[in-house]
Parts: sequence; C-alpha cells; structure tokens
Amino acid sequence: MARFLAPEAFSAATEAISLLPFNFERTGTQQYLVANMVGDFIRLTEDEINKLIDLRATPGDGLYEKAYSAHLITGSNQQAQRQLLALRLRSRMSFLQQATPLHIFVVTLRCEHSCPYCQVSRQSTDRSRFDMSEETAMRALDIAFASPASRIKIEFQGGEPLLNFSLINTIVSTAKVRSASLGKKVDFVIASNLALLDDVVLDFCKSNDILLSTSLDGPADLHNKNRPRPGANSHELATTGIRRAREVLGPDRIGALMTTTEASLDRVDEIIDEYLQLGLDGIFLRPLSPFGFAIKTKQFQKYDAKKWLSFYERGLRRVLEINRQGTPFREFYAALILTRMLSDRPIGYVDLRSPAGIGLGALVYNYDGSVFASDEGRMLAETGDNAFRLGNVDRDTYESLVLSDKLIDAISSSLTQCAPECSTCVYESHCGADPVYHHATQGDALGIKPLSAFCARQKGIMGLLLDILENSPEDAAILRRWVS
Amino acid sequence: MRHMPPAAKDLSPSPVTIAVDLDSSIQSLEALDAAAYRLIGTATCQIDRVANRYVCHLLASTSPQRRGVLTPDDLKERFLNLVADENLRARVAGKTEGVRNVILALAFGSLAANQKDAG
Repeated sequence: MARFLAPEAFSAATEAISLLPFNFERTGTQQYLVANMVGDFIRLTEDEINKLIDLRATPGDGLYEKAYSAHLITGSNQQAQRQLLALRLRSRMSFLQQATPLHIFVVTLRCEHSCPYCQVSRQSTDRSRFDMSEETAMRALDIAFASPASRIKIEFQGGEPLLNFSLINTIVSTAKVRSASLGKKVDFVIASNLALLDDVVLDFCKSNDILLSTSLDGPADLHNKNRPRPGANSHELATTGIRRAREVLGPDRIGALMTTTEASLDRVDEIIDEYLQLGLDGIFLRPLSPFGFAIKTKQFQKYDAKKWLSFYERGLRRVLEINRQGTPFREFYAALILTRMLSDRPIGYVDLRSPAGIGLGALVYNYDGSVFASDEGRMLAETGDNAFRLGNVDRDTYESLVLSDKLIDAISSSLTQCAPECSTCVYESHCGADPVYHHATQGDALGIKPLSAFCARQKGIMGLLLDILENSPEDAAILRRWVS
Repeated sequence: MRHMPPAAKDLSPSPVTIAVDLDSSIQSLEALDAAAYRLIGTATCQIDRVANRYVCHLLASTSPQRRGVLTPDDLKERFLNLVADENLRARVAGKTEGVRNVILALAFGSLAANQKDAG
C-alpha cells in the first residue's frame, strides 16, 4: 500500500530562505497589513514581521507557511515564485499593451442644463462657436484610428452631445466604414442627460449598437436642485429616458452616474433606492471633481474626504443589504477595486492605474479641435489651465500627441511605483496616479500624498473593503461575486 | 500706567510642539525624512544635527481638521512609530532590491527586447 513519505523527505522546505519584496502599513498596536508585490494582503504582528525580515521563520512555525503562501519569502534557489510574481505582474499591467482605447469627442459645449457643479463649463449660446465642425471630427477620427488599440471606444460628450446629433450621426457612419476597412473594432457611447432623447435618437442607437450613459443624482428634488434646467424637469426627463432606453435598447444598454454634492451626503439610501426602482443593476458613488464650475461655484470645497468616505460607507452597506435581501445590485467603484484586489485582470480604468491613463488610456477631442490627455484635462482648460492640452487635430498626429514632452513629463513624474509614500504604500498595487487631480488641487502632477483627498479616499475605500472581506462572511461572498 | 486690554482674545489653542532626539550613529537620516514626509498635514518636522544626535522638532498642524485632538505624547508616539516603520522598510528594501529587479526583468524585459528589435 502506497504511503506518504515522512515530512523530512520534503527537503525543499529546509533550504535557506530569502525575502521577496513587500509593502506594509501599521494598522494598530503591533499589527501590520502587508501586501506582496502584486497586492495580495496578509496580516502580521510586529514580532512576525521582524522575524520575517531577519529570516528567522522556519518550516512548521506557522509564520513560514503563512509567508511562503503569501509570496513574502521563497527558497533561495527556487525560481518558481519569482516567475509566478513576474507573470502575475505582467498580466496586471497588460492594459498598457492596448494604448489609447478610449476617444472622447466633445461634439458641442452647448447645454440646456445649468448645473452648478458642471465640470466642463457648458455654454448656452452661439451654435457656430461651440459646436465641433465635421472637418475637425474627421481629423479626430484619423487620430483615433491611428491608435494601436485593436478595439477602440468612441464616446460622445458635451455640453449635451445630442444638441449636435447630426455630427454624431456622421462620425458613427464614417467610423463604421473605417472600422470595416482597417479591421479595428469600434464601440460607441453617448453621454447624455437624456432631455433630448426621442424615438429618432433611440432608433439610431439601436441600429448602431450604441450605449447610453446618463446622470442621475437621486430623488427628484435632489436631482433637480443639482441639475437645473428650464422647466425644472431634469429628473422627469432623465428617468423617462432611462425607462424608454431600457425598453428599446435593452436593460444593459444604458447606465447612469451620480455625483455627490453636499446635499447628497445625508441621502445615500434614497439615492440608491432611486437607482433600484428604475431597474438599474448598480450605482457608481462618485465624489465631485475639482474642475470647471465645481470650482467656480465652490461646490467642490463643501465637503472633505472624511465626509465623503462616511457617505460612501453608508452607501456600500446599504447596497450590501439590498443584495442580502436577494436583489443583485453593485457599487461599481468597489467592483473595480475588488477586481484589482482579488484578481490579476488588467484594469485600465483611468484613475486606478500607474502609469497614468492620460493619453495612454484616453484622448479627448474638444469641439474646437484641441486635443487633451483626459476629460478632466479639458475641464481644466475651460477655466484657463492648459497643462494637459497636448495639441490640435489640425497639426498633430497620434504619435506627436502621445509622445509629446508634456504627456511624457506628466506620466513619468506621477508614477506611484517610485513616488514618495506611494512606492511603499500597502495599497500601491491597486491604486493609481491621477496626475490631473493632483495638478488641479496642488499644482503638481505628483502631489503630496498625505495632503491628497484622492489618496485619503482610496485608502479609506480599500480599508473598508478589506474589513468587510475579513470580518463579514456573508457580505464578503457578495463582494467576491462583483469581481468581473 | 495701565495697558489697554486686547481688543480680541486669541482663542486658538497653543500649538503642540515637541522635540525628539535620536542617535545619528544608529538612526539614518533617510528614514527620518520619510517619516517626516508621512507626517505632512499632521505636523511639520524640522531636523537638526546636534553633535551625534538628530533632533526632530515637531510642530502640530494648527488646522484642527487636520490635527484632530493631538497631545504632545500622541505626536511623539506617532512620529516614533513612523520612524520605526521607515527603518523596517529600509531593511526590507535592502534585502529585496536585487530580487525586485529580477522579477521586473522577468515581467517586462522581453518588452525592452522587442522594442530593440523594432528599432
């Protein structure tokens, strides 16, 4: 009868060990949160972490097994763990192989809403001055199709892009012809407040497989306060549009985004319930961004990271409660971060990557032909800051934009992998650089992270998710299901 | 002569300050710098070298939002914990720099080779 050999026969465990790179953060008295090179987490005591660094862990002491399985130590002559970490790291960063998959066309800056938190500084008049011309759109398409990504997404933004629907029509039909001839797949999204949505637009979206993305800030009074328009009926138009789009295009062809204003802070349950009642499959709890009218009207300064985190935690716990009651419903930002934390899938989400997503993740073609490294970059330009304006469709090519000194400087100076505090942060593997945010708030693409609300929010959310994963089994199972 | 009473009373709490000194023969300046950086927003830290000691003058932020409720002992403990952690990070970095480079080369080295081929 075959028998297992005695433990001593497994000699690999007795060879000398060496340390693998890891980051850590003190979480309490003699307690540490530790992350290996690809962001797998483990908790260690101060005594354990010191034993590990001194290579005093030995097979059978529990610490050795814990550290070995967490890729914190390896056998000195073993290559497998190094190769595995390299493979996982390469997989996590492979979004870099698909450069610039997103191309945002600002087809008009005009809008019939007058939201005080508007980040793009919409205009209300002068069609000829604030609409993109067909000539500019065609040049922008040349650049978009020159990007290396094998599949690109063209997103129409504004102002309210449906105010220049004829140009959207032209761009879509031209892009489809080029897509067929170049063998490069193309997807389309229209980001609209849905106030101008009608059967013509819906038929067009259906026949061209176009996704709709809209804004919904919560119940009618909150939404209409945040998003004023003539008739004070923004909420009615948005919810009617969402229902209609779900009927005509299908339930998964429209998504909604909310923005948190000071008035939202005590109403997260109502906001989530509004999404639930409309049959949407989740919500993206978003803070205000420090751009455009959000700065001019001082909306951005009205709450800090601590207040927003408290809002977020209440919201996440409400979403989990909805799931426990049997309705699948996600918080999309948590789902993104969880996918980074619990898998090695390459997540190219612009705010959660380093090297940053500016230019390498997205290019923005403004109505006047200016090209920006990100949507937030063009928002800054609307208030006079051209730090992320890379060029113009009339004079530039894809290469000249992406290899411009301005873009390379911003990306290289903001790398979290070598930034103070970030490079040794326990959450680094799952975080991002966000140079536009730090430029806007601190005047520097890298930023001082102890003063950064972005950093505080990221750490707060990841700490909260880890706490739920470790201490609430039922909720942890729900969170694990969100990993796509 | 009697002095005029002040027009307004200064109600701001007196700033929390504290000096922490460490032996420069066993404590690296880099770790102190890194700890001081992590303290930004909570306190400022000015480091002076006095003979064989590093003297770290800590001044808590005057913004109550940033500082929270911080006593001199809290501030000292916070700073010393940060220094201890930075010392630990320096030990980890010292022992893993080589293997980190090996892993990065295994992960991305072929990309550099491809770039060379293409160029």
